[in-house]
Amino acid sequence: MSTATTTPTGGRELSQPPSDGISNLRFSNHSDLLLVSSWDKTLRLYDVGENFLKAEFLHAGPVLDCCFHDDSSGFSASADHTVRRYVFGSGKEDFLGRHDAPVRCVEYSYAAGQVITGSWDKTLKCWDPRGANSSDRALVGTYLQPERVYSLSLVGYRLVVATAGRHVNVYDLRNMSQPEQRRESSLKYQTRSVRCYPNGTGFALSSIEGRVAMEFFDLSEAAQAKKYAFKCHRKSEAGRDIVYPVNAMAFHPIYGTFATGGCDGYVNVWDGNNKKRLYQYSKYPTSIAALSFSRDGLLLAVASSYTYEEGEILHEPDAIFVRNINEVEVKPKPKALPVPPP
Amino acid sequence: MAHISTDQLLQLETTCGSFLYELQIIWDEVGETDTERDKMLLELEQECLEVYRRKVDQANRYRAQLRQTIADSEAELAAICSAMGEPPVHTKQPIQRVGNLKEELNSIAPQLEEMRKRKGERLKQFLEVMEQIRNISVEVMPTEYIPSRHVDESDLSIRKLEELYRQLESLQKEKNDRLKQIMDHLSTLNELCSVLGVAFKETVREIHPTLDDAEASKSISNVTIERLATAIGRLREIKIERMQKLQDLASTMLELWNLMDTPIEEQQLFQNVTCNIAASEEEITESNTLSVDFLSYVEEEVLRLEQLKVSKMKELVLKKKTELEELRRQGHLVVEEAENEPEIAISAIESGAIDASLVLNQIEGQIAEVKEEAFSRKDILERVEKWLTACEEEAWLEEYNRDENRYNAGRGAHLTLKRAEKARALTNKIPGMVDTLVAKITQWEKERGIGFTYDGVRLLTMLGEYTIVRQEKEQERKRQRDQKKLQGQLIAEQEALYGSKPSPSKPQSAKKVPRTSTGGSNRRLSFGGAATLQTPKPDYMHSAKSTRTAKKLDDLGSRGLDIAGLPVKKLSYNDAITKHQEVGMPRKPFASIVPVNTIPSAPSMPVIASTLEENQAPNKMLLLTPKNPATAAAVPMRVASTPAPTCLVNDGKLSVVASVEETEYSFEERRLAFYVGGR
Repeated sequence: MSTATTTPTGGRELSQPPSDGISNLRFSNHSDLLLVSSWDKTLRLYDVGENFLKAEFLHAGPVLDCCFHDDSSGFSASADHTVRRYVFGSGKEDFLGRHDAPVRCVEYSYAAGQVITGSWDKTLKCWDPRGANSSDRALVGTYLQPERVYSLSLVGYRLVVATAGRHVNVYDLRNMSQPEQRRESSLKYQTRSVRCYPNGTGFALSSIEGRVAMEFFDLSEAAQAKKYAFKCHRKSEAGRDIVYPVNAMAFHPIYGTFATGGCDGYVNVWDGNNKKRLYQYSKYPTSIAALSFSRDGLLLAVASSYTYEEGEILHEPDAIFVRNINEVEVKPKPKALPVPPP
Repeated sequence: MAHISTDQLLQLETTCGSFLYELQIIWDEVGETDTERDKMLLELEQECLEVYRRKVDQANRYRAQLRQTIADSEAELAAICSAMGEPPVHTKQPIQRVGNLKEELNSIAPQLEEMRKRKGERLKQFLEVMEQIRNISVEVMPTEYIPSRHVDESDLSIRKLEELYRQLESLQKEKNDRLKQIMDHLSTLNELCSVLGVAFKETVREIHPTLDDAEASKSISNVTIERLATAIGRLREIKIERMQKLQDLASTMLELWNLMDTPIEEQQLFQNVTCNIAASEEEITESNTLSVDFLSYVEEEVLRLEQLKVSKMKELVLKKKTELEELRRQGHLVVEEAENEPEIAISAIESGAIDASLVLNQIEGQIAEVKEEAFSRKDILERVEKWLTACEEEAWLEEYNRDENRYNAGRGAHLTLKRAEKARALTNKIPGMVDTLVAKITQWEKERGIGFTYDGVRLLTMLGEYTIVRQEKEQERKRQRDQKKLQGQLIAEQEALYGSKPSPSKPQSAKKVPRTSTGGSNRRLSFGGAATLQTPKPDYMHSAKSTRTAKKLDDLGSRGLDIAGLPVKKLSYNDAITKHQEVGMPRKPFASIVPVNTIPSAPSMPVIASTLEENQAPNKMLLLTPKNPATAAAVPMRVASTPAPTCLVNDGKLSVVASVEETEYSFEERRLAFYVGGR
């Protein structure tokens, strides 16, 4: 059952990883380039195929999130309150704008052609990347959130914002004047991350309490009846469960199954429709900070990087692993129908 | 005198002269004096002069008359011509004369006559036109200015006539327009009346009697038109009103059909209604589609459907109620509700005081509650069932043991033997069962804050009573055993004395499935194959309290939990609970959180129970197997419904898992604060 190329450490380790915690990593939509943002104030671009650090951009403060614009440029969200764009080839840096507090998340919407950032200043801002470098012409709108923004996710024209205080707002990018839905997380503990399903029907929320909730946008009773939550990333010890925060989630672009990574150092792959766990990868050296599938679903980038859940302690060095994905690990397994007696 | 011809003059003179001669003769005869003769001649001259003068005056007058006439004629002619707008035909030059006066007059007169005639004709025309104009004006605008009949004779020109003709034309056009308008209105009105089922003739007659009459020319006054327009407007409003009402009814009907899955045939009957459900005002043109009768017909149908719905709702309510009762019965939940509650609900629905759907919702809610409660009780109830069956078997076993003939090889004896074996094993397990039951019940009660009732009786009480009875039985048996032992000893002594040894009656206790007791270390539970190996450890019996918790880990395979003293056991429940609480306390942040989950699908809640779970239910899929890093098999998720965030027991403590302050912070925020503060 085990695959030929999987190393005990769970994938190829990228060389020249960041020197401090990894806040997020993302595969490009066009190639196997990997963009990594880190607490060591750098934004790095790796060519995964060649295992080669292609570009590195230094910031004034820790970079808390990153995303691709296209294969030649990307955006960064920094703790120095700024949002910037970097053209990888030329190293050119464009200043998009700033928030009043560290910018925690950044996403680029291809559908709307806008950059969306969420910050701990309790706002969401939309930017037009073409207006970069001109004072205030990039800013399209500012939208007040009930609390500090912790996570964002986009699918199509839908934007889901998860904030402190377990608030969840759903927006339609075409009409940002007010949220399409104002919801409360159905998990009882702080939201760690939110990710929309690739098919656009809903989103998954993960919390610090080792639990993931599967939600749906359609507010009709039929759709809401399908929502559920499950426990994960827990360890049973001495008859009790030790519960770990679920820091990251990533959806497989083809199968729609998803991987979760927690502070227990494990990555699990789940089939949301059939409510099963498909696979668990061997334990990584430390907490999983971020996950990303490549555009063809053949690679999974895992950021093994301590996420400060227990404060300042000694921890394993931060590393990035890239695994080759086997179909068996991510392909959904529908419930077997009962075989009729012969 | 100049024009008189010489001949005439001569003649005249001859006549006058002859007279004079004659006169002279006469006078001579008479002998008139000269003076007299002169006087008479003078007289005669004067008289003649008079006559001349007269004639001349006459002629003069006649001439003047003629002149006057001519002048008059000319004037009249000029006047007529100017009136008619034609240039004067006869331009009179006062100086030159075309011929003499008579000739002039003769030339003028016919012209004048001609012009007079023409003027007359023209006047007639004017009069005609004006008459017509007048007539039409009367029709068209009866209250307004009616031009008088009077023709202004000073202007009879063609231009004016043409003007008048134009006026007439426009009036006629106006009349036609109005007529057309009225006809249009009438047709619209007709349409509306037909759709609304209103009598056209009466409506029209009301507006103006001539409108109804096919023969008479219709009134086309402004008033009529206005009234027609108002009537149309009014009817149109009514139409829209009714149409909306009909459409409302149609949509209600559709809703009800939808709700009640009405068969197609029924729906077809009202096809004509529902097809118009989205029609606009203009589209509805069929006659009588909006008449009062039709509307009330549709209304009736809707009412009927609604009543049907109510009755169906009632049925549904009753059905749900029975469902609720069934669920309660299955969960052994007894609710003290008034017996006539169902009847109250039904009558309320019937009277319409309560909306059936509200009641339905209420019952659904109750059902959900009951389901939830039943679910939470499921585990305990299953155990209770097991316990009850075990008790039955116990009772049977007692009977069996009392039966003297039980080892006789009769038919089915082997079956009874087997049953006895099983029963013994089962009875052995009862104390354990009871223990776990009590523990679970206590925990459940603690969590829910209410007592666990089984068919109305507090389960703990039942269990307590049972254990007391058991205790008593045990003691009784022990007493008997001791007694027998004593007897045996006595007999033995006697035999020793007397030399015979009766077969000692085997102590029943050896055969009996051992009950829990405080003493008797030789708990040999090996009787009956079903009982698994017991390793009676003395520790168990005397220190039930802590060993329960601690030793459980060792005894993964053992079932030796039911060996503990009864009185001690009672204490152990409470201790177990406190133990559970203590163990839960010291906790590093994030390291170990005991998730307070009131849904007992999680096996990890009570410390005791978790290992029991592992013992008894290896097939429970709820645990992850941490030793298996590369799990290929699909492992189902540990799904737990996360209820809406209500206040949990430990909510306060756990939400502050992050920090002691009120606001929560994410890991990144804390990390950044630490970095900023200086690493």
